[in-house]
Amino acid sequence: MSSDKPAFKYPLSWRILDHAENVAALWPRRWSPLTGYLLLVPALLLVFVLVIGLVYIFDYSLHELDLATYRLKDAFSLVNYHVALKSTTYRTVVLRSLGASFIVTAITTVLAFPYAYVMVRARSSGTRKFLLISLFLPFFIGQVVRAYGWLIILGKEGLLNTLLASLGLPPAKLIYNYPAVVLGLIQYMLPFAVLLIAPAITAIGEEIELASESLGADWVQTFRHVVIPLAKPGLVGSAVVIFTLTLTDFAMPEILGGGTTDFIANSIYDGFFQLSNPGLGSALSMILVTLGSVFVTVLFSLAGTGTLVSRENVR
Amino acid sequence: MTRKQNSGQKLNRRQFLTGSAALVGGALIAPGLVFASAPKKPKEIIVRAWGGAWGEALKAGVADGFTAATGIKVRLDFTEDNEIKPKIWAAVDQGRVPPIHVNWDTTTNATISALRGVTVDLSDLPNLKGLLPLAKPIGLKGYPLVNTYAYVYVCAYRPEAFPDGPPKSWSVLIDPKFKGRIALYDDGIGFTPVAVLVGGGTRKDIPDNMEPAWQFYRKLKKNKPLLGEDADFTNWFQNGEIDVACTISVNARAARQKGIKVAWTVPKEGCKVDTDGLWVPKGLPPNEEYWAKQFVNHALTKEAQQKWCSMLGLPPVYPGIKPPPDLVGDVAYPTKPGDFKNLLRIPSKVLVENQPKWFAKFNEIFQG
Repeated sequence: MSSDKPAFKYPLSWRILDHAENVAALWPRRWSPLTGYLLLVPALLLVFVLVIGLVYIFDYSLHELDLATYRLKDAFSLVNYHVALKSTTYRTVVLRSLGASFIVTAITTVLAFPYAYVMVRARSSGTRKFLLISLFLPFFIGQVVRAYGWLIILGKEGLLNTLLASLGLPPAKLIYNYPAVVLGLIQYMLPFAVLLIAPAITAIGEEIELASESLGADWVQTFRHVVIPLAKPGLVGSAVVIFTLTLTDFAMPEILGGGTTDFIANSIYDGFFQLSNPGLGSALSMILVTLGSVFVTVLFSLAGTGTLVSRENVR
Repeated sequence: MTRKQNSGQKLNRRQFLTGSAALVGGALIAPGLVFASAPKKPKEIIVRAWGGAWGEALKAGVADGFTAATGIKVRLDFTEDNEIKPKIWAAVDQGRVPPIHVNWDTTTNATISALRGVTVDLSDLPNLKGLLPLAKPIGLKGYPLVNTYAYVYVCAYRPEAFPDGPPKSWSVLIDPKFKGRIALYDDGIGFTPVAVLVGGGTRKDIPDNMEPAWQFYRKLKKNKPLLGEDADFTNWFQNGEIDVACTISVNARAARQKGIKVAWTVPKEGCKVDTDGLWVPKGLPPNEEYWAKQFVNHALTKEAQQKWCSMLGLPPVYPGIKPPPDLVGDVAYPTKPGDFKNLLRIPSKVLVENQPKWFAKFNEIFQG
């Protein structure tokens, strides 16, 4: 008898989906063109929170510290911006950070491009895997650990100086200076650059390069007139990320700089924590945000938005 | 029912004194029974501390003894002292529970927090009685913090780099022979007042005329010093990166205890002497505040002071404790009034009002 059989029960996943459909049906049909935009809600919330924080920081930046109570005064004032912009210290720190950002972006791009190209075009899967593993391995090691790795290699009793000593040469001062910070940053940024450039190279069909060569272009001409222009979106995206990450970096100057090679982030830290002056720290933060925004705006207006906004490439 | 009635843990002065007396007296007789009538124990209390040799000394000297007596675990939080300060300030301002129970802090930073009104008064701690005058914070009402020991920012050096004997003057820092092999704290703490004297000024110049210090720093910058924190000095000596540094004797001693050849001296211009202390932030639940204060009280017992400060190699505020054998007669372990003759103690008020400006100027010179 059928009554002896247990009633058929839909699997749990089906029932969940049914409920989800019922909930989705509450969304008015005439609003369906907006459905896709719902996916933007988490991102918008995130940006909203950041903007709120930025508004607070901007507000703090407009109040001077009262040294009698270590609280910000109620009155609005531009004194923190005056200190930040007039001080030779902060001017030097800003120039040092900007200089490093340009150097690191340039060198990293030059190093990352061939790496990405070989990784994408390699015929052997073994070579591709080796390059991929080499690329991802540094991600498993944090920035701080990598910086300490450089201390071990470049320190007075480190690997390189031991090598110099074995050759009878005097030890070299390889750490706690600007070049050491830049070197550390280049090594840190290289995987980011490769990952951002590789998709752009993947999108360039090999047949386009072959067509170029069949029309008489040599390898250099093909590279210059075909590969580089078509990879521009990746290069722009990489430049934006590397430049802004370097500009805002804290750990490398802190660890490899020996205390005298501060970047803007280190000065912001000092403002907030060492000087207990959130007003000054906030003013420096606003300057940093402005510098980064100006760079990105200029780059986007000169070279397009790269892989970061790819509508034009789809066309 | 009001919150106050519900908690049942709001303490008045009399209750606190009764509880504290029971702790001190009863701990010797029956540790398990001592706190029978005390407020509810938290599972743990969090004490902010410095790392390395500092944290080890606090654990062995104070925390372990407190846990043995109370059963309350002590978690050391190694957040930088300057980083925890704004976190506590924000928590108190916003009516949140602060992130730590006890802050082990420099007296200057602790005084700044006291001025901001975020510290609990410790005047009712029974173990304050009989401590050296050094324990009492100067210029503050009551005990918003209690100083626990003194320390000296010595001239630490590698004897191998000084075959003719210890440096006689701080001007060794601008000797080109040591270019790139000298070190200071990254904000100039511990040296700026001394730099006034090395730069040709006098004690009377501090704090109104610091120009001699800034001139000395400008010369010093050309000698490319390394700037760091406590743990850096021990590492730098260990890795052979530096020959001479202005650092707290604890760091030099820690390096020496690791088998590194490091010695220290007080040059003719003198060294800055300072104090550290303990304080309890406002805003803790009443029972946790009680036990946080008990922790501070425990840190002031003879046993805790002896072990903690001996490990650090610093003179405690508990009177009559003998220095560790390796520091008997040491310049960095002042015990008699005469020992302080060549040490420079800047009043907390002067430091509180001027230290941020000195830090800023130091940064301007060395980062500019």
